[in-house]
Amino acid sequence: MKTTKPGQWQRTSPLAVLFFFGKLLKVITKNAWQSLAPLVAFVYAYEGELVTKIVVGAIAFFVISSSIAVLNYWFFRFQLNDDSILIRQGVVKKKQIDIKFDRIQGINTQQNVVYRYFGLVTINFDTAGSSGSEGNLPAVTRAFAESLRSKIGEQRDRDDAGHEEPDVDPLLTLGWRDMVRIGLADRRALIVFAVLGPLLERLGDDADTVIANTIEQAADGAFRFGVASGVAIVTTAVIGLILLFALISIAAALLRYHNFELFIDGNTLRSHGGLLTRHEVSMHLGKIQTLRLEQGLVMRWLNRFQLSARQARSSQKQGKGKNLIVPVVTAEVANHLRELLLAPEGDSLMQIPSSERFSAISPYYMRSHILFVGLLPAITATLLFWQVLGSASLAFLLWLPAIILLSYQSWQRAGYLLSAEGLVRRSGLVGYRSAALLYRKVQRVSVTQSRYQRRKDLASLRVYMASGSVRIPYIEHATAKQLRDYILYKVESSQQAWH
Amino acid sequence: MFQNPEVALHHLPDMEDLEWQQIHPRYARRLQLERALVVAAIAIATLATNLLIGVPLSKVFMLWLALFAVAVPLLSWPLISVPRRGYVVRDKDIVFRSGVIWRSVTAVPFNRVQHVETSSTPLDRKFDLANLQVFTAGGSGGDLRISGLGADTAEQMRVYILGKVGASIENH
Repeated sequence: MKTTKPGQWQRTSPLAVLFFFGKLLKVITKNAWQSLAPLVAFVYAYEGELVTKIVVGAIAFFVISSSIAVLNYWFFRFQLNDDSILIRQGVVKKKQIDIKFDRIQGINTQQNVVYRYFGLVTINFDTAGSSGSEGNLPAVTRAFAESLRSKIGEQRDRDDAGHEEPDVDPLLTLGWRDMVRIGLADRRALIVFAVLGPLLERLGDDADTVIANTIEQAADGAFRFGVASGVAIVTTAVIGLILLFALISIAAALLRYHNFELFIDGNTLRSHGGLLTRHEVSMHLGKIQTLRLEQGLVMRWLNRFQLSARQARSSQKQGKGKNLIVPVVTAEVANHLRELLLAPEGDSLMQIPSSERFSAISPYYMRSHILFVGLLPAITATLLFWQVLGSASLAFLLWLPAIILLSYQSWQRAGYLLSAEGLVRRSGLVGYRSAALLYRKVQRVSVTQSRYQRRKDLASLRVYMASGSVRIPYIEHATAKQLRDYILYKVESSQQAWH
Repeated sequence: MFQNPEVALHHLPDMEDLEWQQIHPRYARRLQLERALVVAAIAIATLATNLLIGVPLSKVFMLWLALFAVAVPLLSWPLISVPRRGYVVRDKDIVFRSGVIWRSVTAVPFNRVQHVETSSTPLDRKFDLANLQVFTAGGSGGDLRISGLGADTAEQMRVYILGKVGASIENH
């Protein structure tokens, strides 16, 4: 790869076969049944014992998929030009991708264990906005990735390409304690618990039989002992499972974020981390559209936040814009990072939800929620089930206080903070979310009023960014209009690029 | 030279006394015709099934009543909603307002426009109308869509906005 001359078709390292093999496995697991059908048919047709069949099947599977991977590698070629990179791929269906350098938002790399040994990386081009030009470049040297990075102007020119770490001190390093925090705060862990719920119940049933047996066995007066041991078994099982899933979750965090470091390298924000596969994500500071700070229940308890820098998303794939995520930060570091990332204008855009500087939105915000999400469904359900359930259907009315409580909660958490250069919107139900943005990067603004809002002279403002929209509901109509006019002025008089 | 004059908030251009341009009045007719065609198609289909299966009309009277009840507001709504829609093309942005119950005003600065598109369905062309779509980054299709402009107006606006977009890029 050292001999990369422009305008020449070339292959990547043969180790790219690994990448294609992995990709194939992913495709197979996604459409498991369809892809395995021919193999199953083959194994079925092959006469013999079950064990032989399985062995033959496994061998056939391996041979077929690795030859596909090799073919994929063989037909994968790329060409580096002055302003773009051309990729030709596909065994049966040929595909040519033309990735223009000025369309590339960022060059992210991944490095698995084998690649790390050979100093190779897989490049993932992030090209938000332009369709059909998302590409991977598997198994190229690190130096090549760096040269591409400098080519798209992502970092200061560096002639000593190929050295591992950027020569700047990391802004943030995550240690094993943070891995535990990430693992515990992972929402997926909660989902696992939800799925596990019924399972736990069944386990409870089994425990009942255990208890019953113990009772029978210790029929003379050892009754209490039996119950006690039964309860102990259930408790141990539940705690054990919770611990197990916490461990799995922490292991997942370790896998993705081990040795996580965050840098600002010139004008580029970079992060890398990962135990087996090393993920390296980079984002040009100017391309950051919104900065989000989130805090779920567990994070609140741990007094930490998750920070994500969002850039423009492509219009084809909704929400597929690459974000740079800092999985766990303290309030202090989050503040410091915001000042660096939104410099120089973002200084006063305090994102920490407990800040005094947030203004509340109108309490009328709760009314429509209570009315349409609370009262209306509650009454409808009560009336609908009256015939079937009788007065028991009055229980549906309990929905109302729950919604009132939630609406109040969500109103209390909603807030906004305006500065001369940007705004922060705070929201949340259980946890907190806050999004900070700069006016000059706004794409469009709209002010909306419902009939009721008109009567109360209120309005909702929605600010559309290239990374998604931010809505400030139920503020004074006059404020909304003034803010809109001010944002328009800021955008229209801005001479700076928004991306 | 770089200048950074102080801006008094109350001197910012606001939208209080804008002269809103109306959507072409033929657009209401076009919407009505489209809806009438749909209603008629449903009516014919219902009638056909009635006759084929041989259900007496009196038995499906309620169905017809419901269809009628839906058709009346559906057909008269454009007369209320279309005059409420309006747009203003300013020097640096385009503003569009719409809505009767939920009113919204959306503004798109020209220096954020990615591309502009006009389109027309056969029915639009029958009424000599066209739709203008202004795209900005990160949007999910049709960021600002003004339907029912006169075909000439739409084309003029497209050219004007493109010119403005080009100018804002050169200024960079």
